[in-house]
Amino acid sequence: MFKKILFATSATEASDHAARVAFNMAQAYDASICIFHVLGVPTRGFSQIVMDVKTKEKVEIDDEYIAWVKEEIKVYYSKQLEKAKSYNINYDIKVAVGFPHREILREARNYSPDLIVLGGSTGDDEDSVYKKSMVGSTLQRVAKAAPCPLLVVNRPAASFWGGISQIVFGTDFSKASDAAFKFSVNLAKDLDCELHIFHALDISNMHMGRLLTQDEIESQIRESLRRIRGRYIGELKEIKDYSFDVWEGLPYVEIVKYAREKHADLIVMAHHTQKTSNEDARLGSNIEQVIVRAGCPVISINK
Amino acid sequence: MPEGKLCNRKPIETEEELKTLLSDTGGKKYYEEMKSLDVDSGLLWKTIGNTLKSRTKTWLEICAHCGMCADSCFLYLANDCDPKQVPAYKIQSTLGEIVKRKGQVDNEFMHMVMETAWAKCTCCNRCGMYCPHGIDMGVMFSYLRGLCYQQGFVPWELKIGAGMHRVYRAQMDVTDEDFVETFKWMVEENEEDYPGLEVPIDKEGADILYTVNAREVKHYPEDLAEAAILFHLAGENWTVTSTGWEQTSLAMFAGDWAACKMQVESVYEAMERLKPKRMIGTECGHAHRATVVEGPYWAGRSNGKPPVESIHYVEWLAEALREGKLKIDPAKRIKKKVTLQDSCNYVRNHGLKDITREIMSYIVDPGYFIELSPNREHNYCCGGGGGFNGIGLFRPQRNKGLITKRDQIIESGAELVIAPCHNCWDAIRDLEEEYKIGIKWSFLKPIIISMVEIPEHLKPEE
Amino acid sequence: MYEFLTGPMFWLSLGTCFIGITVRFVLYFKGLNWQLERVAYKAYPAQGLKGALNSILNWLIPFGTCGWRKQPFMTLIFFGFHIGAVLVPLFLLAHNIFLKEKIGISLITLHPVIADILSWSVIVCAFLLVLRRISLPEVRILTTAYDYFILLLSVAPFVTGLIARYEIGNYSFWLTTHIICGEALLIAVPFTKLSHIALFFASRAQLGMDYAIKRGGMKGKGMAW
Ligand code: HEM
Ligand code: HEM
Ligand code: SF4
Ligand code: SF4
Ligand code: SF4
Repeated sequence: MFKKILFATSATEASDHAARVAFNMAQAYDASICIFHVLGVPTRGFSQIVMDVKTKEKVEIDDEYIAWVKEEIKVYYSKQLEKAKSYNINYDIKVAVGFPHREILREARNYSPDLIVLGGSTGDDEDSVYKKSMVGSTLQRVAKAAPCPLLVVNRPAASFWGGISQIVFGTDFSKASDAAFKFSVNLAKDLDCELHIFHALDISNMHMGRLLTQDEIESQIRESLRRIRGRYIGELKEIKDYSFDVWEGLPYVEIVKYAREKHADLIVMAHHTQKTSNEDARLGSNIEQVIVRAGCPVISINK
Repeated sequence: MPEGKLCNRKPIETEEELKTLLSDTGGKKYYEEMKSLDVDSGLLWKTIGNTLKSRTKTWLEICAHCGMCADSCFLYLANDCDPKQVPAYKIQSTLGEIVKRKGQVDNEFMHMVMETAWAKCTCCNRCGMYCPHGIDMGVMFSYLRGLCYQQGFVPWELKIGAGMHRVYRAQMDVTDEDFVETFKWMVEENEEDYPGLEVPIDKEGADILYTVNAREVKHYPEDLAEAAILFHLAGENWTVTSTGWEQTSLAMFAGDWAACKMQVESVYEAMERLKPKRMIGTECGHAHRATVVEGPYWAGRSNGKPPVESIHYVEWLAEALREGKLKIDPAKRIKKKVTLQDSCNYVRNHGLKDITREIMSYIVDPGYFIELSPNREHNYCCGGGGGFNGIGLFRPQRNKGLITKRDQIIESGAELVIAPCHNCWDAIRDLEEEYKIGIKWSFLKPIIISMVEIPEHLKPEE
Repeated sequence: MYEFLTGPMFWLSLGTCFIGITVRFVLYFKGLNWQLERVAYKAYPAQGLKGALNSILNWLIPFGTCGWRKQPFMTLIFFGFHIGAVLVPLFLLAHNIFLKEKIGISLITLHPVIADILSWSVIVCAFLLVLRRISLPEVRILTTAYDYFILLLSVAPFVTGLIARYEIGNYSFWLTTHIICGEALLIAVPFTKLSHIALFFASRAQLGMDYAIKRGGMKGKGMAW
């Protein structure tokens, strides 16, 4: 299922939990792994000076510097790499210069991985200048345009991971969700694990414009359950265990709660192709909220 | 030592030379060699004889030394009115002196000239508007840069930049394949949101030929996507060319006139090959200047015009908004204090001052647009023009130079600065990084995309 | 002496001045090169002419341009100096009487009081120009001995002319000195910075054409100098 993993990392503590998952996955699936680091953002127009995203220093990029950074990364992940070697896992370390989201996407296009694992970024990035110059975080941008599933581990707790036996698939019945569903089914089949299909009925009045009565809520829940049955159940023949539920509430909160209840090892959701251009949508969409809160890795699928 | 291995009078012609020079981190060795680079006085004087004709000669001669140009220069203001920053002084003590000495100047003098030509002037041409005699020192500095370039006294990054144009016909190592591929990639990335989005490559007879800045391809491909999306939404019949797509010219900043000619001819060839009705360039000031304003002269076109009518992005945008090809959702117009950076290159030097304000009137809620003061053709340079942004050696001077624009923005109280020019955009970003005045800045394209109404038939399903 | 100065010397100085200045003016325009200056002068004659005239006329009006308005003090002393410097020698009664005698023509003449006022104003403003040169650092750094020399050369005929007019001291000495100064000035015009008397128009015309033809004059409303 995963033959090639692109692990985009800052090679700092912020990416440690993602690293744990990435290397574990590579081992479990015998995948080759490309450790990808975006060195920095070009400042200064056409000049050769770059701001190192890690150290926040302005450096002049040359081959020597890049070689040095590669070496640093190798040292940083020496334990994992040694282990990987003993499992005969292919790995490659790559360093690029540019805006992180763009370079990750570019590499994804080149390398065509089956999965991108996205590490965390270093602390105070949010107010760094290059960030301000564009809307949305690296995560948002990669999630929106990634050509393959994107796995994100936000909380360290989410990475203590002993394989996948419970998958939660959260749906909102969109087209993108269908793709996410397909992926979840294949994964569940492949790993021989349980699949939990979940929909959260959004009852925040912000969304609906008015408060719903309890009767309305209940009838909508029944309707949603019908939809799940109609849309998904037919394709679950080869899955040995599955369940489905519809809860009401704030979708991202409900999904996280649901995943906790099911002891989920992985959440799969669709990333909506809605525009990221709205400034206030910093962590706007559901999936981003889920990523922030979930106690397990989250896979985002956009097509 | 007459000429160095890296620092010499020969322009860069091959990829290999380019790589060698690039690998000299920060130009350390390059500048070291420059310290012993001889001045070819004979060549210098001969060139002056051939190119310094009555206009420039007269300028140098009749300057009344009245100092009325002093406070027209943003660098003079930013440097606490240092008399050494008076435009007339800067040019008289360099070009004036070389002419006076008939080219007999030494290495040390040329170092001073180089610093003056690139770190004390951005060729913004503002001083020329304030001199009673009509002496345009920006024009003379540009000329002076040509002399410096010929003698090998040119900042490292600009030697590279000019070399890039010679080797790749682009300001960065972006090949034709990279360009086409990146544009296609961007369309793929966005075609779900904008069904039917495409990038027609090398289409003959289109209404619009779109040209770009290589930086967009290299680092900000979103910009390409945004351009494609807006043409798509406006229903334009447009195309890009697979060669001759680079509109900018670092060679112009470097004073490498031969490379300027090569670069602009590559674009004109594309125009002649594809025969579009119009050429539209991206939101870049110096690119427009190079290809539309100065380019025809480098290419020897006696009517001073490119082969097909060529306009700046803001001209197209204003037209599209005016004619309703693009419709703005009034609810989404900008509702915070916003100001506009007038790019010297197409405002002072190409008269596009009202068109940008027309755009503002469509996209900003009434009452939120604030002018900088001064503005329009009297606006100050952002502080990073003429190559200043990119020269590592002169970074401290550049940062100082940003102060004028910083104070202008602070005084206006704007939170957002719209800068439809790559150089200005960069300078304002650096300004925020350096001085943290809490502003945002943007090109026009992303702003328009955030508020444009998508016609029913172009909406994605669902 | 007087004979010589008002005879051959008079013709020589006047001739040098007028011929010299015409030559410089013509050479200026002959030396223009559309490709070097990157202005297609010939392709757009009408726009070029309009731009040239605009660029000249606006700058001839006191406070007529942003440049002048920005520096009101300089504007005052500049025009205070120049109006007299241009009008007095041309339209002074005494000069025209002299001309009438010499060549039989005379121009309109200034009222003597006005001539006096203008002459004084030239001298006062020249003095202020000197003070400005000394006191403002941005002007001081530009100033060379040559600039003072030109100023001196320019005001000398005014100082001596006035002394002669008020008949202070030895009239004929001062008149002779005046004529020497005046002729020195005339001769210097084509060979020094004073050639700006003509080249000002040339240079401004060139920049006007540049803006009108190339730098956006054909887009929008033209240049607000
Ligand atoms: C139509 C005729 C003239 C024009 C358009 C003209 C124009 C100018 C201009 C534009 C300047 C430089 C600006 C400045 O100093 O602020 C200047 C300076 C000067 N002009 Fe003239 N001028 C004319 C005639 C004359 C004449 C007849 C004289 C002498 C008798 C003269 C003497 C000077 C001097 C001495 C300066 C330097 C002033 C200084 O020290 O700042 N000009 N002129
Ligand atoms: C070319 C040779 C010149 C001759 C023969 C000449 C002759 C004269 C004469 C005869 C007077 C009358 C003195 C009196 O009132 O008794 C005079 C006055 C004067 N001239 Fe000249 N002049 C000459 C050149 C100039 C020039 C070039 C200038 C200025 C740039 C000039 C400026 C004046 C002034 C300011 C006065 C006094 C005006 C007044 O009455 O207030 N002259 N000149
Ligand atoms: S304003 Fe013009 S004449 Fe005066 S010092 Fe400056 S360049 Fe020279
Ligand atoms: S062109 Fe601009 S930067 Fe250069 S001297 Fe003139 S005002 Fe200053
Ligand atoms: S960078 Fe912008 S403001 Fe500065 S000189 Fe260029 S166009 Fe003008």
